[in-house]
Amino acid sequence: MATLDLKAINKSFGTAKVLHDIDLAIQDREFVVFVGPSGCGKSTLLRIIAGLEEATSGKIVIDGQDVSTAHPVDRGISMVFQSYALYPHLTVFENIAFPLRVQKLQPTELNARVAKAAEILQLSDKLKLKPGQLSGGQRQRVAIGRSIVRNPKVFLFDEPLSNLDAALRGDMRVELSQLHRELDATMVYVTHDQVEAMTMADRIVVLNGGKVEQFGTPMELYHHPATKFVASFIGQPNMNLVPGTIKEMTPDGPVVALAGGHTMTIPVEATTAHVGSKVEVGIRPEDVDLGTDGLEVSIRVLERLGGASITYGSIGDGTAFRASLSGNAPVREGETVHLTVDPAACHVFDADGRVLRRQAAPGLVA
Amino acid sequence: MMDRYTKLQMAGIYFAITIFLIFILLPFFEMFMTSLRPLEHLFRSPYQFWSDDFSFDAYSQMWVTVPLLGRYILNSIFIATSVTAITMVFVIPAAYAYARLDFPFKSASLAIFLGVNMFTGAVLLIPLYRVLRTLGLLNTYWAMIVPGVAFLIPTGIWLLRSYLEKIPRELEEAAYVDGASRMYTLRRVVLPLAVPGLIVVGVAVFIGAYAQQFLFAITFNQQRELQPLPAGLYEFIGYQSVTWNEMMAAALVGVLPVMVIFLFLQKYLVAGLTAGAVKE
Repeated sequence: MATLDLKAINKSFGTAKVLHDIDLAIQDREFVVFVGPSGCGKSTLLRIIAGLEEATSGKIVIDGQDVSTAHPVDRGISMVFQSYALYPHLTVFENIAFPLRVQKLQPTELNARVAKAAEILQLSDKLKLKPGQLSGGQRQRVAIGRSIVRNPKVFLFDEPLSNLDAALRGDMRVELSQLHRELDATMVYVTHDQVEAMTMADRIVVLNGGKVEQFGTPMELYHHPATKFVASFIGQPNMNLVPGTIKEMTPDGPVVALAGGHTMTIPVEATTAHVGSKVEVGIRPEDVDLGTDGLEVSIRVLERLGGASITYGSIGDGTAFRASLSGNAPVREGETVHLTVDPAACHVFDADGRVLRRQAAPGLVA
Repeated sequence: MMDRYTKLQMAGIYFAITIFLIFILLPFFEMFMTSLRPLEHLFRSPYQFWSDDFSFDAYSQMWVTVPLLGRYILNSIFIATSVTAITMVFVIPAAYAYARLDFPFKSASLAIFLGVNMFTGAVLLIPLYRVLRTLGLLNTYWAMIVPGVAFLIPTGIWLLRSYLEKIPRELEEAAYVDGASRMYTLRRVVLPLAVPGLIVVGVAVFIGAYAQQFLFAITFNQQRELQPLPAGLYEFIGYQSVTWNEMMAAALVGVLPVMVIFLFLQKYLVAGLTAGAVKE
């Protein structure tokens, strides 16, 4: 299998610059997810890796070989498209066999390869059908089948699950993770769904505005987001960002006065901030608890999910605040409650949106 | 759906359709009536809509009056079929290029193609005559096929291009990523999906070729055996009299193949001509 290195990739469409100096080193057999809001350049980056778009500058290196100008087949990549891109007039067999037909492979070898792919994807009894007769999940599997018959070095997936309904998407997520393990292949996967990113990725690339915000494991991103953008993008429900001011510096970290009147000493290294600095304190909804003191939050909407209760409300100065409480938490809509926050669980971002390093971070899960 | 029409509106719509259809179909009807009447009754005054002596005699007599009639009809079909086949050979790659590739002067050349359509063949008859004479093609089937192809390519490109543009680009990208060449993709992916569009363009070209034969036939061809039906109909005009009833009968028989094609393929035609008009 193969490594994939992107070196200083830039891409402009006319005067619009969509990718800025992308540098990434993806390891052999890694499952890497590009995630970001629409328009962040993640699909363009994938298409550049595939060879469907040409980078304005920069190099693509697969397995140590510069393939920046090579044809997709010579790059050793295969791609699964968002719309599946199945050929509606061909049977499932012919769809999967298409890349092999192009290669003019011997019939016996071709049959064996298609049969093997069909077996891995549980499509063996569907080979004679046309794509129109399949369900969404099956079509998705045919598209994957077409990409695996060629034994590529790198698999590229462009939002492959976004056309499926929620339940099926969950199943396909598990199947894809399993497939990754079975094929032992390097995979690059583009999505806008942070749940897909968190659940499937070995490492996640968070893209924003054509730049890499952070490249790390899901747990790194969750516990040590490098920027405010990553922090608010990863995690469900989204992290709360409460404005505050640093009142004084102590050995235990800066003392921050939060909007709404609450003050906390947060154990972070205040290297880029000083007394008087405006900061934002990131508090994950799942890191708060009902208590008798702490943040005063008035609850507007309460969602009972059974296992958890999500509250939507605001603190004193009107800053929105979400909290994820236990399933049977004794709260009601319209009520004002106190939520305690563990200062060690808080993130602090400076005025530029960069994080102040946490001292007492939870141990990283491998 | 918009609001349902009221009864009065429906009546108005059907009234308008009726007027329109009468306007379009009356000539055909009159042709048919004429073909049924004995020649001497055609000039009867006052005009009599219904006569007692209707007969299909003209339909058998016409083969005697113009012995080559069958040949003319076959010529017409042969010329139109050849024009269609050759036109498609040129139109398919050209339309695909216009639909998918980027090249200099793309929109300018497309506009020129449209401009060619604004000339009727008549304007270019003399230059065309010289060209065909130089090439030694006068008085051959080619004299009627070559100009026919030239005048129908632009329409074909415009029609097929809009159809090909609707085929999802991702299908071609997928084929490209899998190593297929442009021509392979065109053959294995694009054309099979474009069959309805190809039928539309083929039928449109065929009808166009059928209709435009007359002008090229009477100017570029003197050989009786090669004449298509519209030119052959002239032989019903004799020195003494014109056998109108037989001419009408022959014209109707000659139009029949096109009518039949239309009836069979009209669902494709309607779907194809409006394709791309509405965003799906």
